[in-house]
Amino acid sequence: MNFERFQNQSRLYVIGALEPEEVEEFEKARKKFGKKAEDFIAKCYALHEAFALSLRPAKSSDAIKDRLMAMVKAKKEA
Amino acid sequence: MERIQAREADALSQLYDRYNGILKALILRVIHNEAEADDLLQEIFMEIWNQAKNFSAQKGKPLGWMVTLARRRAIDGLRKKQAYARAEERLQNEIEQQPDAWVHNATEEEIVLSDTRTLIRKVIMGLPPAQQLAIDLAFFKGMSQREIAAKTNTPLGTVKTRLELGLKKIYDGLKDLRDEL
Repeated sequence: MNFERFQNQSRLYVIGALEPEEVEEFEKARKKFGKKAEDFIAKCYALHEAFALSLRPAKSSDAIKDRLMAMVKAKKEA
Repeated sequence: MERIQAREADALSQLYDRYNGILKALILRVIHNEAEADDLLQEIFMEIWNQAKNFSAQKGKPLGWMVTLARRRAIDGLRKKQAYARAEERLQNEIEQQPDAWVHNATEEEIVLSDTRTLIRKVIMGLPPAQQLAIDLAFFKGMSQREIAAKTNTPLGTVKTRLELGLKKIYDGLKDLRDEL
């Protein structure tokens, strides 16, 4: 697998869209390209942020935050 | 995130205020149920609190880490709660009614978008509808290439090409934004 192919596969990998039979070859290439591969994969995760930011923020119930903070407080005190 | 790692509850409160809307929108996009989305949002922020020690700024930005975590939990939740069949039915209706799944989320006229959101949406909307749909099913529904092929009655090779081309265009289109994300 050349690096251009690896880049294409990386974008599929980060969204979990590689098929099982493609993952093994991808992991081999990942080892072969080393740091260059890891740096590129890290950049690809910006796609996750982009997809989330493409959505209109949704309002959540105020009670959710109250419950969350109560749980955190209880956990800290435990 | 450093303050959360130091177990400062106020920091989690601030993180929640800043990002709950984005994460809730993501969860809702996956599971299509308001009450379940609220419950999951609470669980996800609790997981952020519990797993904060595993976050590494060298590996990426906090939002990316949180989105990855939220997406995984939402897709797991979708499957565990056996809502998958119901969501698939709704999804089928969406596909039949409007193949461009991103378009119906909100129109430009309905909401005032931030500059970042406007740019991201412009890049995504610039893709052919078939590429948008393939990416939508992969990212927001956690579908494999084979599942997308079956769902859209499209050859597997075509699905792969659509995903590769679409993701490359988005990745390239967001080049200027990546450092900010």
